[in-house]
Amino acid sequence: MSKDQTETPAGQGSAQTASVRRIEIARKLKSIAVPAIALAGLFSTIAWVQPKLLSLRALAALATDATPLLMLVMGSAVVILLGGIDLSVATMASFAAVAFVILNPTMGEMAFVAVIMLAGLVGALQGYVHHRAQIPSFVVSFGSLGMLYGVTHFISNATAAPLSQPSAIISFFGGRTAGLPNGVIVVIVSAAVLGILFRFTRLGREIFAVGASERAALLSGVKTLRVKVFAFAISAVCASLAGLLLLGQTGYSSPAMANNYLLPAIVGVVVGGTAISGGIGGIACALVGGLIAGLVRIGTVIVGLNPAYQNIVFGVVIVIAVAVTIDREKIGIIK
Amino acid sequence: MTPVLAASNIGKAYPGVRALHDVSLELRPNEVLGLIGQNGSGKSTLLKVLSGMEQPSTGSLSLRGQEAVIWSPLAAARLGIGLVHQEQSLIPNLTVAENIFFDKPSPHRRFGIYNWRGLNREAARQLAKLECDIAPDTRVDALSFSDRQMVEFAKVLAIEELVDQPLVILFDEPTSLLSPSEVDDLFRQIRRLRARASIVFVSHRMEEVLEISDRVHVMVNGENVAERTRDTTNHEELYHLMVGSRRSDDYYQESGREPVGASSPRLVVRGLSAPGRFREVSLSARPGEIVAVTGVAGSGAEAFCRAIFGAEDGVGGSVSVAGEELAASALPDAAIRAGVGYVPAERKLEGVIVGRTVLENIVLTFGPQMGRAGLINRRKETAHALSWINRLRVKTPSPVEYVERLSGGNQQKVSLAKWLMSDRLQVLILDHPTRGLDPGAKADLFGVMRELARQGLTIVFVSETLEETLGMADTVIVMRDGEVSARFEDLCLHKPRPEEIVEAMV
Amino acid sequence: MTFTQNATAEAPPHKSAGRLTGQDRVTSRRRFPLRELGPVATLGVLILVFSATSGQFLSAGNLEVILESSAIPVVLVVGLSFILIQGSIDLSIEGVMAASSMLVSLLIANSVTGFDLGWWAILAGAFLGSAFGLVNGLVYTMLRLPSLIVTLATWFVGLGIATLLFPGRQPQILDERLTRLALDKSFGVSALVFLALALAVLGWLVQTYTQFGRISYAIGRDEKTTKQSGRHVRLHKILAFALMGLISGVGGVMISAQLAVGNPAAGEGFLFPAVSAAVIGGTLLSGGTGGVLHSIIGVFILEVLRNGMIQLGVDPYLRHVAEGLTIIGALVVGNWSLRARLRIVK
Repeated sequence: MSKDQTETPAGQGSAQTASVRRIEIARKLKSIAVPAIALAGLFSTIAWVQPKLLSLRALAALATDATPLLMLVMGSAVVILLGGIDLSVATMASFAAVAFVILNPTMGEMAFVAVIMLAGLVGALQGYVHHRAQIPSFVVSFGSLGMLYGVTHFISNATAAPLSQPSAIISFFGGRTAGLPNGVIVVIVSAAVLGILFRFTRLGREIFAVGASERAALLSGVKTLRVKVFAFAISAVCASLAGLLLLGQTGYSSPAMANNYLLPAIVGVVVGGTAISGGIGGIACALVGGLIAGLVRIGTVIVGLNPAYQNIVFGVVIVIAVAVTIDREKIGIIK
Repeated sequence: MTPVLAASNIGKAYPGVRALHDVSLELRPNEVLGLIGQNGSGKSTLLKVLSGMEQPSTGSLSLRGQEAVIWSPLAAARLGIGLVHQEQSLIPNLTVAENIFFDKPSPHRRFGIYNWRGLNREAARQLAKLECDIAPDTRVDALSFSDRQMVEFAKVLAIEELVDQPLVILFDEPTSLLSPSEVDDLFRQIRRLRARASIVFVSHRMEEVLEISDRVHVMVNGENVAERTRDTTNHEELYHLMVGSRRSDDYYQESGREPVGASSPRLVVRGLSAPGRFREVSLSARPGEIVAVTGVAGSGAEAFCRAIFGAEDGVGGSVSVAGEELAASALPDAAIRAGVGYVPAERKLEGVIVGRTVLENIVLTFGPQMGRAGLINRRKETAHALSWINRLRVKTPSPVEYVERLSGGNQQKVSLAKWLMSDRLQVLILDHPTRGLDPGAKADLFGVMRELARQGLTIVFVSETLEETLGMADTVIVMRDGEVSARFEDLCLHKPRPEEIVEAMV
Repeated sequence: MTFTQNATAEAPPHKSAGRLTGQDRVTSRRRFPLRELGPVATLGVLILVFSATSGQFLSAGNLEVILESSAIPVVLVVGLSFILIQGSIDLSIEGVMAASSMLVSLLIANSVTGFDLGWWAILAGAFLGSAFGLVNGLVYTMLRLPSLIVTLATWFVGLGIATLLFPGRQPQILDERLTRLALDKSFGVSALVFLALALAVLGWLVQTYTQFGRISYAIGRDEKTTKQSGRHVRLHKILAFALMGLISGVGGVMISAQLAVGNPAAGEGFLFPAVSAAVIGGTLLSGGTGGVLHSIIGVFILEVLRNGMIQLGVDPYLRHVAEGLTIIGALVVGNWSLRARLRIVK
């Protein structure tokens, strides 16, 4: 029908476009403000208790430690934006590290590609089963958590193994460029890729639409199956990158090396302002939230608390963060 | 004689919608009061207010001469008011006996412990009042629809034990899903009941209301427009009151109307069926033709329109758009590719994406086609969307306002603009497009529909009122019980009388 | 007139039953749907297959092993069934078991602390569990958060508390009254098996004869109507979680008895099989279906599968894979008929 439409005067149109952009940016800044202030507050508190944190070396170590978690948070955020949840991410990270160590001697650097593709495939399969059979995502990912746990322990004989043959990619992941940990570069590049995905592709927009109202999205012609398959695949690929980053940092793989990251990953997503009910949030939120979760992890150690408190703190934080961000009206009856 | 239940000057407003306006009624002891009106005339809302499911915005209720506030269905039950729901309120995975006593105390359920035998015996006694022999320990999901209605009935009757006054029983369209013999059974029960209860009977079936009621209230647009006794009225008068007076101005822009030109049909539907909803419905519409599909609730008109778009399950038959055949099992995206658009009745749930902006809603479906290499061309799609916002006069503070903050009419325009972004839209389906809109917004929408048809779009719509149907449509398809009961063509040349259409609906 | 996503999306199936549906009219008083028989048949087939492939499988010794290993899962699913029937989920089982197990092993006569509270220690474990459950229920209903998130949080809080309680070296439980529960056998099985049996019977009675049990079914199927009928939905949800907490606490005591040590990882590996068992048995996550007995059948399916695989020499870690496949397979089958194109499942 576009041929019949009356074009708006060019000047007015571009002025309107500019104001649209302004409002969008303001809105984004507003949504990130509270988590960002929380992050700054947390950081200053820890730095006040332990001033050594402010050295470059300590900051770099902090950043390195946070990178696997940030990757997991970004991946999980994609699924949570859909309104679902992926409980298999941490186990997927362990699986990726173990699988790489096993595949590397025979495949060389191609093992990297193989592991990423395998992860993407498993993720896609989760999304497919979840959507086609209409089973809640937490159950499907819970099931694959169990399976990945079993497979990872089986192929590794339930033992830790060092990287037997040097790998350029993994040593890059563990190294530094001009003092900057390469893990940070990986995170920045991934964030940029996901940012572009959300802002400039149909898929990105459809993820938000499905998260906000899946029914309306479906009736607007969104291929919800495709969207879910991609979202779970992205989540799994991010998780596998997290596992490989961890492998680069430690130089060895163990079948449960990343399993502790599940709760911090979800905490990271929700404290960043991404609503568990879907449709609200984004990559910037995920990055800020991931940094908060990472700081809490490190912070408890720096401040000298028993690391066991971490789990308790995360447990309390997740409840508070979800309570603040959730859209109860949308969920209706809450189970 | 004091009325058992009286409502005075009841008003009920939902955001953007005025469902009831200044409605008064009196229910006298042991009478059956009929309530008729078209879909959306406010009958069901009135019942909800009387039964405590909704609170009135203005006005007051009085029960047996005393002012009463009915806070909840439970409070209503304690006061002796029971509602027999149109969509049943039974819990299917519990037994018949449990359901009957679900919302009331029972001596056979003390300190949280069930005495099943006693409960079943008591339930059987309640069912026996209706001469009904359903086993009380049956799970409700194993019952047939009419048996479930009996249980629903028994559940309401069991209120008798709670109050010592006669009951008030409200029936919300109880017959719409029953067969004629089941309706007779129901009427037998109602006649027996009136000895100890006062009854409000809501239906859109004229004959039934006249047969069972002593007095009849007619509702139009949320107002109580007339009251008649059975002896002083007849079908014709009630039809006329229900359909209402016609507007004098050219509300539907009929002045420039011409017969649809002869051309090959664009939308062809052959023998479309969906079990339990509609059967063997066919339709053929030319470019520029406006087809109204109409029928009472449960007639299958909505489901049929949704099925064309691919939003219904288990559909058989064939749909072709501009010569392109659509698979019966296709999802909406296939229909959209063929050039079909659909504006749903449930705006907030299905029509617009709540939580996203006006702009995003408009560009969701066809925006990405303006980009290249899988990337979105924001500039171009925003410009297009803005031009549609201007053309349809969508009232919004900014194009990136969240869509749920707009009024219903403007949300409807957003939902419409989404389809108009397409450069190859062939068929537009609208489900109750004017539901909840104020008269100005309605007129706007009719204008847009007329204009689109003039440009050659095929429009299929389910109308809210008879008046709309006659005002807008070139062709009317009337459905009853899932089948086409009448067709009227070329309305531009000869209009059927409203009575003819109503006749085919019920 | 506000429609929530769930309220309208999950329309009751009989809503569309109109005058024209012939099949709806068919009334059957007592139906035995295939789905009800499926789990029992599955269990039967598994037993047949394993007794054919392994001579040891049907021996008295092996059956006792199956019963012993089923004891804790059976106890857990008795509580979990009520949660699932209501349509909620409790992920905190492992954390609560760990915390309870640590508490019991530190308060009872042990090799680390000086406490010797005897039965009171066991009570304390159960009490800690109920406290967790109560918190779950209160946070879930008062803050109106998804139970998935609340219990995910308390899962880790429980693990954290267990780790905090851990004194650095493993406390050996010295009080024989507790360890004998797992060791002394009568009729070939330990007291724990009898405890599981008793709790199973109790669970069934609660499910069938109490308001709590019946209203749980109503909540799972149609929460809105239940609430409108004047039922205390919130109270019954809190009750279910408190009960589940108590059961998890008892589970912690039972695992302590079996291991004879306090271990912060005591709960590991119980959550997933418990949820799987309930679902496989027919207590679906969508709520309103199944029951205690269904879930127990599910436990036996998983235990027989596990035991049979051990008999066949399958790697213990591959069991996880088999279990994962079983739960997802069972869900796909159980859910298939509910699918509809506009049904939204998150």
